[in-house]
Amino acid sequence: MAGTKKKWVWIRYLIAGVFLLIMIFPYIYMVLNSFADWSQVDKKLIPTDFTLESYAWLFGGGEAVIPRPWLNAFLNSFIVSAASTFLMMVSAIMVAYALAKIPFKGRDTVNNFILFQMFFPAIILLIPTFLVIQKLGMYDSYLGMILPKAMSLWAVFMYTNFFKAIPQTFIEAAKLDGASELQIMFKIVIPMSKSITTVIFLFLFMERWTELLWDMLVAKSDEMLTLNVLLSQMFGPYGGYPGPMYAASVLLTMPILIIFLIFAKKFQEGMQFTLK
Amino acid sequence: MSTKQGGLGWLFASPYLLYSIVFFLIPLFWSLFLSFTDWNLIAPTFSFVGIENYVDAVQSEGVQSAFFVTFKFMALFVPLVVAFSLIIAVLVNGLPKFKGLFLIGFFLPYLASGVVSSLIVKGLLSYNSPINEVLRNTFGLDIDWLGTPSGALFVVALIIAWKFSGYYALILTSGFGSIDKGIYEAAMIDGVNGWQRFWKITFPLLYPALFTVLILSIGVTFGIFTEVYQLTGGGPNFATNTWQMEIFTRAFSNLQAGYASAIAIIASIVTFVSIWIIRKLMEMWGKRNGWD
Repeated sequence: MAGTKKKWVWIRYLIAGVFLLIMIFPYIYMVLNSFADWSQVDKKLIPTDFTLESYAWLFGGGEAVIPRPWLNAFLNSFIVSAASTFLMMVSAIMVAYALAKIPFKGRDTVNNFILFQMFFPAIILLIPTFLVIQKLGMYDSYLGMILPKAMSLWAVFMYTNFFKAIPQTFIEAAKLDGASELQIMFKIVIPMSKSITTVIFLFLFMERWTELLWDMLVAKSDEMLTLNVLLSQMFGPYGGYPGPMYAASVLLTMPILIIFLIFAKKFQEGMQFTLK
Repeated sequence: MSTKQGGLGWLFASPYLLYSIVFFLIPLFWSLFLSFTDWNLIAPTFSFVGIENYVDAVQSEGVQSAFFVTFKFMALFVPLVVAFSLIIAVLVNGLPKFKGLFLIGFFLPYLASGVVSSLIVKGLLSYNSPINEVLRNTFGLDIDWLGTPSGALFVVALIIAWKFSGYYALILTSGFGSIDKGIYEAAMIDGVNGWQRFWKITFPLLYPALFTVLILSIGVTFGIFTEVYQLTGGGPNFATNTWQMEIFTRAFSNLQAGYASAIAIIASIVTFVSIWIIRKLMEMWGKRNGWD
């Protein structure tokens, strides 16, 4: 009985492993093709001849207008994503703290309005938000890409629920010791929310890093393009240069993959709470 | 004390108030206003056209296709992603060790940019790709994946299902976590077989997590853009023309800002009403079977 059980366990690992391999095969295919000899790109499931030609093409500037637009675009993506995510985190913590821990007149109204806005189909806002950015003189600028994505209602919602679960006695005790709201927020509430902060940070950063539609509308000049937009434009409708296309895809995917894997353990802990 | 508290609360909430005025309330009314004009996004002047934009929109092929394409995507994507995520959740749940490691692995597709996954799929499905060579030479199948309406729909739905299934599997495994092992042992003693066990015990207990996954995945179908933009441009012949694609094309390629605003308003009403109806139906279905 014990023997058969053990055998079954191995088969389970095998099936799960094979399925996992299938699921991450597109990544493997991408990486292998980015190093593959150009005569083999998209011709073989597993390439056999390897070269750095694709990366050389990419960082040599390829046939684009300004030299090395890829590194520039990488930097743009990083600036926009980092600033946007930072603002989303800070604003979410502030607003959620007010909603969860500071009783004030009109709090319920604000809370209800946030819920209303959260479930409001955002598609209606696309065109006029573009016009707002234009009127503010932020077309083709970092600010134009950052500010409309400086607040996440989902993050506010998640933090509010988490902060509400922090026992009021902690807060009261700190208040008796003479701590101010800001001190309580930084010394008690934020340190207690490390795991959920990891989850929220990762989701927000991932989403911002892979944004296409908005950045495509706001960034017009070559120097302002984010990596995702440049990738989309360069290898969009006409194809060509499949090798460098895979190299550029690796360049876009790797940072987010590395960041995720660094925080993977914390992420999992946080998800446990989030999903309750 | 109370006024000081009140002021502090509003101060902390002020980022939201500022944000929602500039990026929600103003755009919302601007959109309504634009939808009654013939403005072309560039010209300094425009005139009011009443409800003409709305009348034109509902009769146009673009809007009608967006309406139906969304539901076609739903019919393909939702079963695919639920099946994939259930398979992942069941597989991982059956492992005594390394559950977390496998879940992290299955989550990785969620990190992919829609542009990247579309480009990879384009490569995998290009005419001379290994997959098509095998299909052609071994099975005599010459499939134009993205050139036929049903093929393009299926490929896009598959890419998005690939992206989300690991994420949804995480939600489902947390549902498994709440199931008491004792129930299975009791059922085993009563001679319940595997199939009955899944439908009578696992499924009802999993239902809350499954409900979340269904609602989330239905929401996803109303916001498809990147994959369609990158792979098909809404074609062939409107077959993958989603709401986002239609609005983007009208407003920023054809510069019909007023007309596109009317489409956006129609789109958000359709989205809101559809999700509300589907949600109510699901709740009724769950109640009737006594799952919640």
